[in-house]
Amino acid sequence: MESPSGSPPVPETPGSAALLAPAGGLERCATGIEGLDNIMGGGIPRGNMVLVAGSVGTGKTTLCLEFLVRGAERGERSLFISVTESAAKLIQNLSTFEFFRTDLIDQGSLVFVDLPVVYDRLGLGHEELTREEIDIVIRTIRDLVRSLGIRRLVLDSLTSLCYRIRRDEQIRDFMLRLGEELSAAGCTSLLVSEIGPTTGRYSLHGVEEAIVDGVVLLWNTRRLGDIVRVLQIVKMRGTAHSRAQYVMELTPIGILMAPHLKGGRETGGP
Amino acid sequence: MPPFDIGERLRGLPGGSAIALKLDPREYADHYFAVLNAALRDVGSETDAHTIYVAVTSPAAFVWSLAQALDVPPERISFVDAISHIMMNYANPLGNATYVDSPRALEEIMLRVEFLLRKYPHPRSIVVIDSVNSLAIHNPPELLSEFFHILLNNLKSRNVLTLVLETSEEETTGVEQMLNLVVDETIDVARAGR
Repeated sequence: MESPSGSPPVPETPGSAALLAPAGGLERCATGIEGLDNIMGGGIPRGNMVLVAGSVGTGKTTLCLEFLVRGAERGERSLFISVTESAAKLIQNLSTFEFFRTDLIDQGSLVFVDLPVVYDRLGLGHEELTREEIDIVIRTIRDLVRSLGIRRLVLDSLTSLCYRIRRDEQIRDFMLRLGEELSAAGCTSLLVSEIGPTTGRYSLHGVEEAIVDGVVLLWNTRRLGDIVRVLQIVKMRGTAHSRAQYVMELTPIGILMAPHLKGGRETGGP
Repeated sequence: MPPFDIGERLRGLPGGSAIALKLDPREYADHYFAVLNAALRDVGSETDAHTIYVAVTSPAAFVWSLAQALDVPPERISFVDAISHIMMNYANPLGNATYVDSPRALEEIMLRVEFLLRKYPHPRSIVVIDSVNSLAIHNPPELLSEFFHILLNNLKSRNVLTLVLETSEEETTGVEQMLNLVVDETIDVARAGR
């Protein structure tokens, strides 16, 4: 390759294009969390399905809620599917944040759905979902997304849903089909994964992280006895992203992030 | 009291400057009050700036009482208090303060400063860190260097004037050497006063 200035040609090495290419290309779904968007080159590639994995008290649900609220503010209709916590309680918790506006719910920009209520209405009362019932769940989510024009979706939590889908191949099939449906609708989704503090994997069964487009890992670590909440992007298809660790703070104006200080020491992961 | 006008020195600094203010421990009270007066009243009030005071040496309530004596209005100053929690002195929190668990929570201090800068956006903001010596008591030097490097660079990019209070020792310490690497200028309050 000849350089325009006549200087020696720059050798092309495998992957050099990816290293040097600008982050643009794919349309972005800006999370609205400035620190997070900054380390992903502007946001999550539109249509990606992302696992938000972490143990209790790491800020998974808050991160997901802010993602939806910021989207609704930008005119992207957003849907929260709750499996464990009631919508009323979630909205009550949200009201403590200054970035939350109740009119987003009133005008239908921010929609909450309790999945257990949907199970009841559809008669899905079995402890373990059959293949047909899994199909019904996927179609129900797909119909909600299509009919309401949903652009952002959160499922909180995937883990609770997967407790009723016992077999790995069924979970794999569920994830693949859900991802296809959401991506086809241009809907960017965050799926909450509840993991133990030291599991060494990102989901209940270990197959979920292989299917999703991205994994955002959250954990609590200790420094001289104090708890520090840490975030790291492990994987994000379709964009260059930082793989460094960041400290996350849940403030009334939203999530703020700062580099995780290490002082020259290895801090490890969760 | 030093005969020169610290306030005038500070007023002349461009936004985005990071300055270490060296205080002599033998004349600490005089020097501290002079610096506080210069930072909060001369620079803060006269330039219509908003000051974020990171309190590590003394609780925010104490600094606030001094600021009140200097007629600093509450809307012109906010505190990041990193000492009251570990001193178990949190019974009457100030309305214009945010409290961090301990001086070891360095990232949290950075994030609370960021929070206050966003909550009170202002064309001229000042961040006072009181002090590097108190932070050094609770944190290893490598961690503290990383903290100052990131924080001061971030504040510089946002055109925030940063004042780091430092109590000078007889001999140059590791803390002073580290601080010299990250600040633009050191003002020796004691020496300038002679």
